[in-house]
Amino acid sequence: MSSYDDFRNPNHLPNHRRGRAAANPFDLPRQRRGKTPQMHGRYPDYDCLEQADHWDELTRKTVEGRLEPVTGYEFFSEEEVRTLEPFCDTIMAQGDEPKVPVLGMVDRKLAAGQLDGYRYENMPSDYETWRRVARGLDHTAREQGAEGFADLSAGDQVEICERFGEGELSGAEWDTMSITNAWGVVMRMIISQFYSHPWAWNEIGYGGPSYPRGYMRLGVGQREPYGKPEAMEPDPVSEVRKKGLP
Amino acid sequence: MRRAPGKLGRAINRGRWLKGAVGPDDNDSRYLLDPHKRGVPGIEKMRRFADDDEVDLAIVGAGAGGSTLAQRLARRGWRIVILESGPFWDPDRDWVSDEAGAHKIYWNEPRVISGEDPVELGKNNSGHGVGGSMVHFAGFAPRFHPSDFRTRSLDGVGADWPIAYEDLKPHYEKVEAELPVSGQHWPWGDPHSYPYTAHPVSAGAELTLKGAREVGVEFRVGPVAIPNGAFGNRPHCIYRGFCLQGCKVNAKASPLITHVPDALAHGVEVRADSHVTRITTGDAGKVTGVSYMKDGRERFQKAAAVAVAGYSIESPRLLLLSADRRNPDGLGNANDQVGRYAMVQGAPQVAGRFPERVSMYKAPPPEICSEQFYETDPDRGFARGFALQTVGPQPIAWAEHVLADGHWGLAMREYMRDYNHWYTIGVLNELLPHAENRVTLADDEPDRFGNPVAHFSYSQSQNDRDNIAWSKGVMRDILEAAGAQDILTIDRYAHLVGGCRMGRTPEDSVVDSDHRVWGFENLFVTDGSVLPTQGSANPALTIMALASRLAERLGDKRLQAGSARKACAFA
Repeated sequence: MSSYDDFRNPNHLPNHRRGRAAANPFDLPRQRRGKTPQMHGRYPDYDCLEQADHWDELTRKTVEGRLEPVTGYEFFSEEEVRTLEPFCDTIMAQGDEPKVPVLGMVDRKLAAGQLDGYRYENMPSDYETWRRVARGLDHTAREQGAEGFADLSAGDQVEICERFGEGELSGAEWDTMSITNAWGVVMRMIISQFYSHPWAWNEIGYGGPSYPRGYMRLGVGQREPYGKPEAMEPDPVSEVRKKGLP
Repeated sequence: MRRAPGKLGRAINRGRWLKGAVGPDDNDSRYLLDPHKRGVPGIEKMRRFADDDEVDLAIVGAGAGGSTLAQRLARRGWRIVILESGPFWDPDRDWVSDEAGAHKIYWNEPRVISGEDPVELGKNNSGHGVGGSMVHFAGFAPRFHPSDFRTRSLDGVGADWPIAYEDLKPHYEKVEAELPVSGQHWPWGDPHSYPYTAHPVSAGAELTLKGAREVGVEFRVGPVAIPNGAFGNRPHCIYRGFCLQGCKVNAKASPLITHVPDALAHGVEVRADSHVTRITTGDAGKVTGVSYMKDGRERFQKAAAVAVAGYSIESPRLLLLSADRRNPDGLGNANDQVGRYAMVQGAPQVAGRFPERVSMYKAPPPEICSEQFYETDPDRGFARGFALQTVGPQPIAWAEHVLADGHWGLAMREYMRDYNHWYTIGVLNELLPHAENRVTLADDEPDRFGNPVAHFSYSQSQNDRDNIAWSKGVMRDILEAAGAQDILTIDRYAHLVGGCRMGRTPEDSVVDSDHRVWGFENLFVTDGSVLPTQGSANPALTIMALASRLAERLGDKRLQAGSARKACAFA
């Protein structure tokens, strides 16, 4: 069976697994070309940035601009960053380097005043929502005896995020707005930053800007000439190195 | 191919299409574009009107309604200025082939939403700049059905329009030739053909067609506003899938390339970056022009008539903001109708997972459509229906879909890694007009010019909820029959219409059948906000057809220059 055929089966998907729990991504191959967040992925030999010469200049600059490291925060305070960085890492499951600097990208967007053109009546502005979420997460962490959200274990952070997603947090800041809508505001911004990053595109095997070249292979099971096959098995060489074997 | 009727049909029958040059006789936009550059040529040579030069018509908004009206009337010699709040886009210079990078083509100014089922605005339904929201519309361009104009008589819900399908039919045909629309012969509503043949479809649409056949649902390819073949200087589609991010190719239609070039060639001034803040009234029943902000300065354009084309949120807002001593509740609002009956279509999407690679980001998102469930079927237990269409979310939209099913963290990453195996279909549910679904002013929230922003409150009725729930079942059945191994669902809305609806009396509407605001001789609304019902069709084609009809009705009424006599034109 080729590695592609493994993915004909949907059993790796959370809805097909006990408790809708995701499989451990570290069982996936390590990225061999280019980068993905945490270097695991389905397309270990695919790097969309290798196609950048085929993109129009304006788009190329926009996409490559996202690779520049985030240096300092404009919108968030140091204290907010301390809370929100682990929050964003939990939401996007970014435990290890390399990480897409999600909070830094959110910061740039908020500092530039790029909002989405609407606000729920029962909500403060998106700016204020972010600040209240930061304070709220610390409030809930303190209820659990920690100094702040950043001081909780990874498991406790996941648990608080679960309660946030289900609208079950309360007290202090959480009582001043709709928690469901607050979840929507921060999630919308986090996922739109993460999935605008070319490393995330490598992980999911996305074709990228594709202008002016376009696509030529639209049919079932087809991929572009520069597309790469999916691979499920870990790369043997890096596995051996990882395990410290001779 | 069944013979297309009307003027277009005659042109086809004369054999022009055999030469590969199907196109309208009275709109040269396709030839006025540059084959090697995407920006509209001739902006620097565009005619300019002085603020104190009384133009025949000032139009607010350069979208589907405003641009079409301007193009038509300019050809009849009218002197016209379009004031557009956003920029005059040059796709080469301003747009990127990137999902997040498309942020600036949406209306991102603040608005407040509320109600039991609040409608998210911004990128989902609100445009900004010359071309309006058609710059980021998917490209589906179906007609309304004849029944849409009489839902009150036929089904006891919604409202009857003061005009009938037959009034719009010749304009549907014209606009379909101008965009132009590609698709298979259309068997639903008033059966008709399209000027361009259907596009090839992608993997996911093929699988959907297969599943639909199994469960007895008929689809057709199209109708999409992307020519399949030569159309003047517009390039062929390259199937890159970014229709919702602005077509950098100039393949997908928007007024920026279908009507503005011809309008400029006939002396229209499109004054971009000019945000209209109020309409000014003169003697009873007359407006005198518009105040607008440009380069940080308030200016006033004098006009013999004003047409508002700012769409369902900003048009009612402008009428309300223009309140004065004579019209204390806003223009046309003596009967408390402005902003009411604002509508959105239900637009849940269901995604299916397939064993093969499908790569739904390839090819234009609008591919195939079914209107089999469009009309009322008493067996379903609700009035009116829905249309089935394809959608091809780019990664961020796909992440929103995954999140809506409750996945984040590792689970979201897993579903996202599986992206290439998924395909998404959606519906447009005809949600009914309700008086309390309304645009008002948010008095506590000023925009950057100090004027209250719009507040849009929206709640569904039981009929609306039943329609949405039923349609999700059909999508599921189709995808499962196609072999889907996993299903993810997202609830959402699409499109905006209503808010300044057209009617027979001032007591239950804002404009008459000629788009004239009740109580005014020379104030018109010519955008999607005039629609009394919305059908299950994407509204762009109907908005353009309505503007085309209005232009025909107004066209002959213009008198020679001289404002006193001009005023009579609108009496």
